[in-house]
Amino acid sequence: MMSHDEMLDGVAAYALGVLPPDEAAAVASHLQTCAECREEYRLLRPAVTAVAYSAETCADADSGAVVASPLLKARVMKEVRAGATRSVTPRRSPAVLVAAACLVLAIVSGLVSLSLSGRVGRDRALIAQQDQTIADLTAPDATHHQFTGGDVLTRGSHLYIAVHGLPVLPPGKVYQAWTLAKGAKTVAPSVTFGPESQGVTVVRLPEAATTLAAVAVSVEPVGGSKQPTTKPIAMVRL
Amino acid sequence: MERVCARDADAFEVLYDDYHRLVYGLALRVLADPGGAEDVTQAVFLKVWSSPELFRGGNFGAWIARVTRNRAFDLVRSKSLRAESEFPDSLPVDERLEDTALARVDAASVREALDQLPREQREPIERGFFGGVTHEEIARQTGLPLGTVKTRIRSGLRKLRLILEEAVGV
Repeated sequence: MMSHDEMLDGVAAYALGVLPPDEAAAVASHLQTCAECREEYRLLRPAVTAVAYSAETCADADSGAVVASPLLKARVMKEVRAGATRSVTPRRSPAVLVAAACLVLAIVSGLVSLSLSGRVGRDRALIAQQDQTIADLTAPDATHHQFTGGDVLTRGSHLYIAVHGLPVLPPGKVYQAWTLAKGAKTVAPSVTFGPESQGVTVVRLPEAATTLAAVAVSVEPVGGSKQPTTKPIAMVRL
Repeated sequence: MERVCARDADAFEVLYDDYHRLVYGLALRVLADPGGAEDVTQAVFLKVWSSPELFRGGNFGAWIARVTRNRAFDLVRSKSLRAESEFPDSLPVDERLEDTALARVDAASVREALDQLPREQREPIERGFFGGVTHEEIARQTGLPLGTVKTRIRSGLRKLRLILEEAVGV
């Protein structure tokens, strides 16, 4: 019987990718149920990624460093551009996955370009919040409730609405979310919001998902309403 | 990235520019063959382009590094690229800001950090990660007990993280 400390050593080998498939599967399974080992994995994964980055080649070919041939990029981009002209229809994915991917890449791109000592501090709270959103949107244990044009997603008590192509509203109008508590007969007002300019609107509702039976969205006057004044554009039972 | 998801070639080109040095460098380290490294780099990026949904969130650099490593070892094993190599899941592990920052320290700093590790910790890490061998093979090659190899890997990765934390200031 393996001790837990030995299991933690196994987690390190798993993070590095040096376990044979059967042992890797066992560790992966264990990670699903052991918070301590999951935390160890979370701690070690960035170190493994850093090991990968130690092999990154230099950008400066003039220094004599080994770099990929510019012809390689030309070959890749030739195929990419040919593919782009053949198929311009976006892949259909659940709204939350598209939103998550875009949020992730926005953050990753930002981090790549920043100096690690500067903007990290300033943007910490915002990015931490975005990190949480990304983690929730992409989590395998999140529950998706689809409606036309979007998803309501819950993960534990966290609750999100993600909508594709939400139309811009006339002046004086906003979208408002509504929640129906379990056992309640009337909905309660939640947050108001407008459409994101990038096509996918993601809104986190402050209510605990575990206490709710349904979520809806309607168009209301700026400032929100106490009860819906228009027919909901989306309504999802949780 | 929404533009990449929507098959915008210009946006993809930016992605290529940001990550090709990581992909090519990692493939080159594994294969020790510039031609093979270019083949892997091309295969990885074209797969990302054709199937962007395979990336399901988290640290993109970490994910594409895993993809590259798998592809490179495929090539080592088969001497020819399979059309559909298995791509890893990208399930994020509750990654925090400092984790992302740590994973993206520049290559020179990571190499310096690796050099600070005791040799008995650095060697199994590099041998396993770049050499594509299992911990059992490392144990056989070094004559060390299997448990010792795993413990040294864990100690080394933890120490590497601490060194990088100091370098980054998180």
